[in-house]
Amino acid sequence: MNTAWLFVIVAALLFGIGVYGLIIAGHLLRKLFAINIMGNAIFILMVAASGSLDGSPDALPQALVLTGIVIAVSATAFALALMVRLYQLTGKATLQDDEDADD
Amino acid sequence: MNLAIDALIGLGLVILAWQTISGRSLFRGIVLFVVFGLTMALAWARMGAPDLALAEAAIGAGVTGALMLVAYRRLVQLHPEEPAQPNRRRSRLALPIAALAAGLVAVIGLGAVSAEREPGMAGLAVMSELADTGLGNPITGVLLKFRNLDTLLEVAVLLAAFLAARTVFADEEKSPTPPRGDLPLVGALLAIIIPLTILVAVHLLLAGSREPGGAFQAGAVLAACGVLLILSGRLQPATRMGLAVGLPLVLGLLVFSLVGLAALVMGAPLLALPGLWTVYLIETAMMISIALTLVLLFAGASGLRRGDS
Repeated sequence: MNTAWLFVIVAALLFGIGVYGLIIAGHLLRKLFAINIMGNAIFILMVAASGSLDGSPDALPQALVLTGIVIAVSATAFALALMVRLYQLTGKATLQDDEDADD
Repeated sequence: MNLAIDALIGLGLVILAWQTISGRSLFRGIVLFVVFGLTMALAWARMGAPDLALAEAAIGAGVTGALMLVAYRRLVQLHPEEPAQPNRRRSRLALPIAALAAGLVAVIGLGAVSAEREPGMAGLAVMSELADTGLGNPITGVLLKFRNLDTLLEVAVLLAAFLAARTVFADEEKSPTPPRGDLPLVGALLAIIIPLTILVAVHLLLAGSREPGGAFQAGAVLAACGVLLILSGRLQPATRMGLAVGLPLVLGLLVFSLVGLAALVMGAPLLALPGLWTVYLIETAMMISIALTLVLLFAGASGLRRGDS
């Protein structure tokens, strides 16, 4: 068991938590938390699985993840704007299907 | 011993993620998410990726947390009586699906880790190539030399996200101005913090060619300056975007595109950067654009104007 294996396991657990949170979350902000956690899990996976933890540094996955972090923030910012707008228009920050599912 | 530290950080990440998802209060969720981001930064540092640690701390935790807090405040302002109903969907399938997803990630990751690596992998080829370019930081080198189109479009995505967010609120009435910072210490504190923050941002930018750092980290740190100025009322959100805001907003895209096209005119491949000075030029322009975009996203406004202080 070395560092790479450890972080792959952590990534898998984080991804599972993210998927679970995405499904059970009612509030859209919680869904955003979940999506961001899933994204972070994949970022960890990319770097951990690239073999750069075992000595030979590999700049490619790190550069990819750096781009990914910025894209994730951009998408989150837009999603937050959509959520606030939805709340303004309907008074709810949940999706229609979710309310039906609760019945 | 090292593995024990990594295991602690990993355990912390998992617990924080679970708390963020399952906690009752939305506000607590945001705070925990920011702590999760900072712990991610620690994990990146442990994984030997200081560039990612800086980016995660500044962008992943800082900017995302600030944006989430602003969105939360607007939700509370719209309906103060019930900001967050702790509703959860019940689903029998949630746990099996999550377990399957986690298993899939684990299989992919463990398969990739245990795979035999050929000595001529792309990363090593890039490292040997980068030695000639004068860029000591391989991440910056890869971003600007080999994935330059991706980096250009990344700035475009950030700009597109801002424009889309503004379009959503096109017919919104003017957002309420934040409370004026009348406390006697605010001015003195800003006078110290703002120059230091700018210094850190410029250092991150200049260091980015040799050491961990770069335009995105520097832009996020610079954006913190703008956020402080907005919170203290020195800068006010404005409904109209003047040239003074619009031009810096697209400066990164503009400079990067122009330099890239100039390379094409001079017979080099598109977006080939002729020298180190163009790297600094592009990174500086990108830093300004990124910082301004993030500040405007935080302000939820199309423009900025001076506060009347």
